[in-house]
Amino acid sequence: MKSLLKGRRTPVKIFVEGDIFTKLSFLIWGLSNMVRGQIVKGAMYLAAEVAYIYYMVTSGVAAIGGMITLGVHEQGMELDPVQGVYVVTQGDNSMLMLLYGVVALVVTALIVVVWMTSVYSGEEARQLKLHGRKVPTIFDDITSLFDTHIVRLFLCLPLIGILVFTVTPLIYMILMAFTNYDADHQPPGHLFDWVGIDNFKTILSAGSTLGKTFMPILGWTLIWAFISTFSCYFGGTFLALLINSKGIKFKKVWRTVFVLAMAIPSFISLLVISTMLGRNGILNVLLQEWGFTSEPLPFLTNATWARGTIIVVNLWVGIPATMLMISGILMNIPPDLYESASIDGANPVQKFIKITFPYMLQVTTPYLITNFIGNINNFGVIYFLTGGGPSTLDYYKGAGKTDLLVTWLYKLTNDSNDYNLAATIGILIFIISAVFSMITYAKAGVSKNEEALQ
Amino acid sequence: MIKREIIGLHKKPALIAVGASVLTLLALLLPMVSLGGKTMGGFSLAFAVKGGMSFFYPALAVLAVLCAVMGVVLFFMPSVKGVRLWSAFMALEVICVTVLLFGSKMIIDANSIFSAKFLVKNFGIGFWLILVLSYVGLWNAMNATRVSPGHIILVVLSIIWLFPIAWVVLTSLRAEPGYYVDHFIPHGFTLDNYINLFKAGSPIPFARWWTNTFIVAAVSCVLNTLIVLMTSYALSRQRFKGRQLLMKAMMVIGMFPGFMSMIAVYNILKGMGIAQNLGALILVNVASSAMGYYICKGFLDTVPKALDEAAHIDGATNFTIFYKIMIPMAKPIIIYQLMSAFIGPWGDYIFPSLLLGDKQQSYTVAIGLKWLTDQQRIESYYTQFAAGAVLVSIPIVVLFSLLQRYYVEGMSGAVKG
Repeated sequence: MKSLLKGRRTPVKIFVEGDIFTKLSFLIWGLSNMVRGQIVKGAMYLAAEVAYIYYMVTSGVAAIGGMITLGVHEQGMELDPVQGVYVVTQGDNSMLMLLYGVVALVVTALIVVVWMTSVYSGEEARQLKLHGRKVPTIFDDITSLFDTHIVRLFLCLPLIGILVFTVTPLIYMILMAFTNYDADHQPPGHLFDWVGIDNFKTILSAGSTLGKTFMPILGWTLIWAFISTFSCYFGGTFLALLINSKGIKFKKVWRTVFVLAMAIPSFISLLVISTMLGRNGILNVLLQEWGFTSEPLPFLTNATWARGTIIVVNLWVGIPATMLMISGILMNIPPDLYESASIDGANPVQKFIKITFPYMLQVTTPYLITNFIGNINNFGVIYFLTGGGPSTLDYYKGAGKTDLLVTWLYKLTNDSNDYNLAATIGILIFIISAVFSMITYAKAGVSKNEEALQ
Repeated sequence: MIKREIIGLHKKPALIAVGASVLTLLALLLPMVSLGGKTMGGFSLAFAVKGGMSFFYPALAVLAVLCAVMGVVLFFMPSVKGVRLWSAFMALEVICVTVLLFGSKMIIDANSIFSAKFLVKNFGIGFWLILVLSYVGLWNAMNATRVSPGHIILVVLSIIWLFPIAWVVLTSLRAEPGYYVDHFIPHGFTLDNYINLFKAGSPIPFARWWTNTFIVAAVSCVLNTLIVLMTSYALSRQRFKGRQLLMKAMMVIGMFPGFMSMIAVYNILKGMGIAQNLGALILVNVASSAMGYYICKGFLDTVPKALDEAAHIDGATNFTIFYKIMIPMAKPIIIYQLMSAFIGPWGDYIFPSLLLGDKQQSYTVAIGLKWLTDQQRIESYYTQFAAGAVLVSIPIVVLFSLLQRYYVEGMSGAVKG
């Protein structure tokens, strides 16, 4: 069956080579299938076409048009001549118009795929008939979903989910970066409009308050990601080596202590620790009781202190996880390496430098970079500990000294409703992550070995 | 003489330990505390303080003398057993001096020996020397008998890691209410904080929150695992047009910060008329779960292809192979996936809080507990917050400990790629 469809077939080729029904089925979807006996399948394609046309006529076309204008009628007050009072007139809602426009685009993209499959499917049926083979019935098609076409069965639901709840919102937000949907342009009271790349210009320009907020926050984000990744990595490695070293007794007990800290949901540990670090929190109380300080220490309220505190608390959260992972890797190091090293008279330090460390570094490089990107987007630690504070007047509305780009993004959507800026920052974060990921993929060559493992 | 070689005893660290123990004794004669113009050495302090924790000062003096004497004796008559015993006393000495580092203020202020209030910076050179030397002594004494001194580090680290855990557990059992207290260990113990969480008519519908989270976690973990398995199977075992493209696209999409599109997801849900609803939360959790196919696919990649081929020859369909071969083979990764998908919703805060808004009856534990630590509520609900935190942590910790093996396998599997 496959051999019949060998060679690249484009819709154009199919159109040129096909008979009249094939040609017509480009317009009347599924016709080619129906003519060759696949009534149900053909009818389904036709139904999809009819549904799409109905949708476009009733709302789709309007939605795409609305997306281009983003609304023209502002909500306003108008004198009602009958009642003699001012009433609110319904205006356009730019936000919904943009959303509906995106939905219409996604639906259209989807329907193009359906159209393509209908063309291919009709052509396949024609070829089968032509060569005197059996054309699969609807029953055959359903059965094949569990065998040769299992990919369709398995990927259908996941991909629809991703399309609706990941891709559509993402396109919507990416488009938003090119509008002026900020605090001053809140629909339905006000409309917003397309502004091109103005948002990127303002954020990246050095002069504006936004630029003066973006650059330091970007700097802190990168510093934070770097320090937290490596401090946890080396801390975890040290702990793993310590617990797994020869002379240590009760290995299980020690490991349990740290696993306990790791198993507690991190939002709980972070909430608890942040309450402990407050001005009246237990740590300040104890430090004064012990005589280490006579004043409460500004763990989370002074910019420099807060940054240090966050890094230290992150060690508490991050070291056990790294420790567990490194322990797993250490066990995977081939023991014969150590044996031959021992025969050559290597001491433990040499063994670590020459065997353990290079092996670990090689195996964990991708982990380090994913972790680095994860830390750029490490929302939880910042949000639960300081909420980005202490805030400063140097920064744009409400952004604080410990804010990462991602927590600032959250503040912009949640507190100040500057969706356009949030979306712009989201895109910039994406660019940063993409650059670092590309470095990983270039280095590690993932998917290169995909087949080799099997 | 220690110069003689003894089996099981390292000479160099033993000598350092002897030196350190003798020097510790000498350091007791140096100024220990100088405050308000008055300076006292270790021995005079040991006699001057009385009551409460004060016995740590005389104990330190006694132990320092004992350790120094034992050190000198062992120098001339070395034995492994002797050094072991000696290490035990040195450990006691280390504990004493550490307790004094933290407890001196209480002891000295209670005895009112000095005219001013004590602070750690008032410790004299003697104290700091004792602190360092006693640790050095213990470290080397342990090294001498091949007991790993790493234990010292592990004890210190364990205390640091257990400190917040101990605090939240103790707070949850504390009888006196309030956020601000001046003591670590509660004066009175009670279970009321737990009981009040479940009392009918309590302002905190904790039982409700807990059940909500459990339902969300249970339902989404099953569906999530199913979807991840199907996706990974399709991407790992099947070859189809656009496979590489699909994987690349998912990777690129995954690089956008998730918070960015949250508002849009919320609007879509609102458009569907299901915002402020736990079903919506499950739907969103499950809908994008295929994005996390990576670890599972990595695992399936390692299952030998020969298995599929053999089954194919026997006439099995792909679905049968998935059901009868892949699922049993993938058991560790399925458990990993179930577990991480189950744990996720317990700590998920941002999206649920946006979705559920002020509808407290639908809160999950994460939003509920965060809500309790608000500035207006923290003073009155802190102990109940702690009880809630413990109740949320227990099932997760138990689950995690039981399935830790799979978790590590999944994680190192991810590393191996």
